[in-house]
Amino acid sequence: MIAASAGVLPLDGGLVEPALSAPLSTHADVADRAFVKRGSGEIQPVLALADISLSFGGVAALRDIDLEVAQGEIRAVIGPNGAGKSSLLNVISGLYRPDRGRVRLGEHSFAHVPTARLAQHGVVRTFQNLAVFKGLSVRDNVLMGLAHRVRAGFLRQIAGTPLARRIDTENRAAAEDVIGFLHLREVRDRAAGTLPYGLLKRVELARALVARPSLLLLDEPFAGVSLGEKRELAAHVRNARDLYGATIVLIEHDIGVVMGLSDRVAVLDYGRKIADGTPDQVRSDQAVVDAYLGVAHADETELAL
Amino acid sequence: MDTIASTSHRTGPVAESILVGVAAVIAFGVIPLAGSDYLMDAVLTPFLALALAAVGLNVLTGYAGQVSLGSAAFFAVGAYAAYNLHLRVPELPLLLDLVLAGFVAAAIGIVFGLPSLRLRGFYPAVSTLAAQFFVQWALTKFGWFSNDNPSGVIDAPALSFAGYSFTSAAGRYLFSLAVVTVATILTLRLLQSQTGRNFIAVRDHEIAAKVIGVPLLQTKLLAFGVSSFLIGVAGVLWAFAYLRTVEPAGFNLDRSFQILFIIIIGGLASLRGAFLGAAFIVVFPLMLSRLGAALLGGVFDSGVLEMSQRIVIGALIIAFLITEPRGLIALWDRFRAAIGRRTGRPRQDISYN
Repeated sequence: MIAASAGVLPLDGGLVEPALSAPLSTHADVADRAFVKRGSGEIQPVLALADISLSFGGVAALRDIDLEVAQGEIRAVIGPNGAGKSSLLNVISGLYRPDRGRVRLGEHSFAHVPTARLAQHGVVRTFQNLAVFKGLSVRDNVLMGLAHRVRAGFLRQIAGTPLARRIDTENRAAAEDVIGFLHLREVRDRAAGTLPYGLLKRVELARALVARPSLLLLDEPFAGVSLGEKRELAAHVRNARDLYGATIVLIEHDIGVVMGLSDRVAVLDYGRKIADGTPDQVRSDQAVVDAYLGVAHADETELAL
Repeated sequence: MDTIASTSHRTGPVAESILVGVAAVIAFGVIPLAGSDYLMDAVLTPFLALALAAVGLNVLTGYAGQVSLGSAAFFAVGAYAAYNLHLRVPELPLLLDLVLAGFVAAAIGIVFGLPSLRLRGFYPAVSTLAAQFFVQWALTKFGWFSNDNPSGVIDAPALSFAGYSFTSAAGRYLFSLAVVTVATILTLRLLQSQTGRNFIAVRDHEIAAKVIGVPLLQTKLLAFGVSSFLIGVAGVLWAFAYLRTVEPAGFNLDRSFQILFIIIIGGLASLRGAFLGAAFIVVFPLMLSRLGAALLGGVFDSGVLEMSQRIVIGALIIAFLITEPRGLIALWDRFRAAIGRRTGRPRQDISYN
């Protein structure tokens, strides 16, 4: 497939430098939303979890989780299998209702996040086992990310009223933009169901980014992709923050990629948060080493970008 | 939806519009002048009604992913609603009766679509099956629907519109053709809009669609409504333009399956597939009876014909589901792609429908 061959991003038009650590300040003009308030003292977190607990038939999946995600950061939640990472993401996106605790998204606080209105709150998520719409073309998949913006009713859409056409034109322009950004131009007319897994990960990311979310939740974005694709995806995730201004929460068990990519890392184990801090702090935390890393694996640290 | 879009993408908009233009001239001009009454009366008019019903079912099943076994119920609702509208409000023009009958069918369809909001997979189909039996029972039980005919039979009024009457075979064919053309174009526009994408999104990954902000309730009920509307209008054509005398028993479960088979054989989530499948379902029995009579002579009576027809269609459905779930339309696209390669015109690979 296109672009998949390169470890370093083939970038159009020199919009961003291929280096993975693009300095934030140079993109301040593009990333309008996220960094405006950055560094200006007390700012409201984009996402705040307070005292979240969740259990399934007596088995505690999450216990008293507190988590704050600041504007414009890449926040990783890591942990071994069954630590409660996916449950946490499902609580944030409203697919699960926590037994206790509250989720605050920007200025709104919820006991149970309304999934159907998530997109309106500027929150989008991806899924661990790919949730692309296989029967739609890549472009239509991306356009689906803007479904909540289509305010014209179906009769107006059939009739092609000025409102419906204007929304359609705007959405198509936004979709083209993100399709170019993620190097999907050559496959945009292909049915998603005919594309390989690694490419579909990018399609899903494009669908998430097209709405320019304030908060992007990524569920194991690096699961099941090759090392080269991992580097590439990591760069895309970073660019999503730098250029699209999204605050990012990603859950992952591939600790190597995460450490290089994230600003702060929270570690879950058996439903509890056992550590929270910068990658360096977490890496040297004894509880994390005991619970998660076990005996330090040389090969895992090698993966760090 | 993307069928047409991607086809024109492959062949170029000019070639495609020439093709459509030629087809329109033949359908609207040549056939009514040169075609025999038998062709229009017994082949093309039922083909058009069934094709429109299949377009309607395809919206629901092929695009929105909700299986329905109650198409004949909405077919019947359309026919009986138009009959009663004409009978009880004679001031209304027939074309308005047709549209209103579609809305009545849409309302019934939405009611029986409500369980699909709670049920997943196969189970909503049971609700549509309930529609099938309920409607047939109600039309037989309550004489009001058939103006107190003891067996529920209705005689359709003569087709007329704006002072013109469409009672001849050619007239009824042209009336059906015009209605089906307009309805199909509007459906195509709907499927190419965001609403059409929402249908497929709900079909392919309901949770993801919900998280993105697709209103599930609205989208599913709209699919039921639009689908039933189209099937209802097709039912009016079936009763008024084709048979002209219909009874509730004619809208039984067999008819529902017939429409379902059309979209399976023709190709799910493809409007062209609906037409191709309908053509096959209409032409196939005629071919089979000719062939059977030629080969076996007198032994091949109507009973044998019906049995052999069921066997062959059943076998075909199994064969399609196993070897080409995308139906006849996929075969047709592949055939055209092969021709394109031979004539040296480069084409993209076949799209998904």
